Amino acid sequence: MKNKFGLFLYKILIFAMPVFALFEILFRLGFTPVITNSTLFDFKMSEVQKHPIHNPRILAIGSSITLYELNSATMVKNFGGSYYNFASWDLQIGDMRVLLNEFVKEYEPKYVLVCSSIADFISPRNESYLNYLNTNRYIRNHFPEFFYFKGYNSIHQIIRRKYKAYRADFDPWGGASLTIQPKDINLDKWNEHDIFPTKYTKGQYDDLDSLGAWLKQQHVEFIFAQAPIKASYTNTLLSKQIIESHFDKCKSIVEAHGGVYLNYCNTTIFTDSLFFDQYHLQAAGGAILTNEIVTALKGIIK
Amino acid sequence: MLFNSIPFALFFSLFFLSYWVLFDKHLTLQNLLILAGSYLFYAWWDPRFLLLLFGSSLLNYFLGLAIHRSGKEKTRNFLLGVGLVQGLGCLAFFKYFNFFIQSFISAFSALRIRSDITTLNIILPLGISFYTFRTLSYLLDIKRRKIEPTRDWIVFLSYVSFFPCIISGPIDRPETLIPQLEKRRVFNYGQASDGMRQILWGLFKKIIIADNCAVFTSGTFDHYTALPASALLAGIFLYTIQIYADFSGYSDMAIGLSSLLGFKITRNFNFPFFAQNIADFWRRWHISLTSWLTDYVFTPLAIYFRDYGKAGLIAAILINFTAIGIWHGPNLTFVLFGFLHGCYYIPLILRGEMNKKEKMRKDRLLPTPAAFGKMAGTFTLVMFTFVIFRADTLSQAFSYYGSLFSPSLFSRFAITEKVNTLVTLACIVLMLLAEWFQRDKQHALQIDFITQFPFRALIYFGLILIILFFSPTINADFIYFKF
Repeated sequence: MKNKFGLFLYKILIFAMPVFALFEILFRLGFTPVITNSTLFDFKMSEVQKHPIHNPRILAIGSSITLYELNSATMVKNFGGSYYNFASWDLQIGDMRVLLNEFVKEYEPKYVLVCSSIADFISPRNESYLNYLNTNRYIRNHFPEFFYFKGYNSIHQIIRRKYKAYRADFDPWGGASLTIQPKDINLDKWNEHDIFPTKYTKGQYDDLDSLGAWLKQQHVEFIFAQAPIKASYTNTLLSKQIIESHFDKCKSIVEAHGGVYLNYCNTTIFTDSLFFDQYHLQAAGGAILTNEIVTALKGIIK
Repeated sequence: MLFNSIPFALFFSLFFLSYWVLFDKHLTLQNLLILAGSYLFYAWWDPRFLLLLFGSSLLNYFLGLAIHRSGKEKTRNFLLGVGLVQGLGCLAFFKYFNFFIQSFISAFSALRIRSDITTLNIILPLGISFYTFRTLSYLLDIKRRKIEPTRDWIVFLSYVSFFPCIISGPIDRPETLIPQLEKRRVFNYGQASDGMRQILWGLFKKIIIADNCAVFTSGTFDHYTALPASALLAGIFLYTIQIYADFSGYSDMAIGLSSLLGFKITRNFNFPFFAQNIADFWRRWHISLTSWLTDYVFTPLAIYFRDYGKAGLIAAILINFTAIGIWHGPNLTFVLFGFLHGCYYIPLILRGEMNKKEKMRKDRLLPTPAAFGKMAGTFTLVMFTFVIFRADTLSQAFSYYGSLFSPSLFSRFAITEKVNTLVTLACIVLMLLAEWFQRDKQHALQIDFITQFPFRALIYFGLILIILFFSPTINADFIYFKF
């Protein structure tokens, strides 16, 4: 019986080994596993695994606003290389709350910088980040192949994601300044006017409140910079009032927990020519914004 | 812990090694491991209902012994009654309570009587329909002196909670499983290999066919008002395939897992799409439930109504199939689904062909045109009833039928997941062909006639690669989990 049982296990191994080998080959060829439903987040995490970050003093996080508008070179020049931008498309404040819970413990930053706009307050949390966060840190960082099996996704989808999904080109500090030529600007995106507030906005304010309180508890300074919005977005009295009330709300929440609130929604400095859609600044606009932020933070970041 | 998930793979690997390596020589320890593993597997979903499973099993264990020991018919009837009230009572409470209350409220409001009855937020314990039917058949068989009760409580509790089958069956009878639990199992290489093949076939059906079909069918049923009739027709065709691949895939995995542990459990499907009439279909579809109801509901009813000739038989069939419908859940859609299938029997009963078995010659490469016509006809009849089965309400089902019969039956519709859809259609053809050529076997992957191992291995690797390459984004729950 023992011999037969051994033979059976041996044959199982014969069938299992090529499957593991196949996934290892895919991994080595750059067909990374699907971890969350954000292509960019998965890509950034895979970059972080390949080029580990050593406890950045300033940890930036946010959505595409933080990703595109914080100029890494300016940040590094003024505050030293101890900086990393963890921003990824579509992150909501609630997502930042859950991600920071892990990142702050892992990287122990002194400052957390969020460059935000109203788009960070309009959607529900993305639960798929939990697939990343709920995985043991050691496995996550040393055996990312594990994600091929956890929350399994087919090889067909993995291949399609590699070749079809658009991703940003990160600089070494995780930023991705972007310049779009005026002729290439998408008019629909340019004229878009996101509905704000939405039914999720209140939840996002609660998450901002919880984030501020938690960072204070962790002795991490919270810096919240309100990013510029294109002038034409606030062309009616009502939309102006809505935006102003959003700014007041964010300011009161951030300052209530001892955080630093900065507001750069200035249509005189940030004219429409510096944008490529309703909220996003071109690289040139991002450089101006980062310079403004750096000037303001010089007295704060020691 | 779905069978096709990482936690289950880890759980079963550890279980399998402990079962055959550590406890190989100790029957009691092996059974204790089955019991502990089954309770862990069950508690993984919701530990709150473990107590219900344990309590219900323990009560039925003692009732079984008491019925057997009692000499008086009256006492035996009383004890059986206690068991039936407990089993059916739990089932009625957890599964049907809110349905009855809502029906009362609707009836009262139709009569313009104000009712202040409130429904309760009752969660359905997983697998309750399946394990209750096991305990009921145990007591009924002891009462009929068909079997003797087991004295070993570990064996009985393991029989009720046997993890490969507790959530969605097959509903094993006591005479099938209990003797196997009482006897020392020896590792059988042939049985284990066959089990692995059946698991692989089940995974293929579940992941590639059922889950890929689900992507299309859930979209179709959710947005049927906005879709052309051609998409709706494709939707019900694929749903019929999906429910078969999902449930028979689960059953294949359950049987395969049992084989790995040295058990031979009840077959649940016998290639139902090759049935040539509705009676033949139900002899091949969810066999363990159909045969259970045939033994404990239909046969007693048929005897009771025997003086009424064919009308009595029709009444017995209609009641039996309505019971099959109700077993699925507290919804009028299931009641109508069952009743309709009962109605399909009427022409067979009137022609005296209900028990006539159509023989399929094993040596024929293809079915005869007449046989093929009958198969297609039976498939179509069944397919149309699955609209009712899938719909949330009767009005949704009728609305779906309404939308189905419109001029847009011949218009084109958009498919989002083109590659997966094409692969799924190809795999459906592959499944049907494999099952046709293997129709005299227990499952389609019993390919021992291919004597060279490398050729068999090629087929296994082919299936593994299809599964790895073309599974859909979302692994859906097994459809029968909710029953």
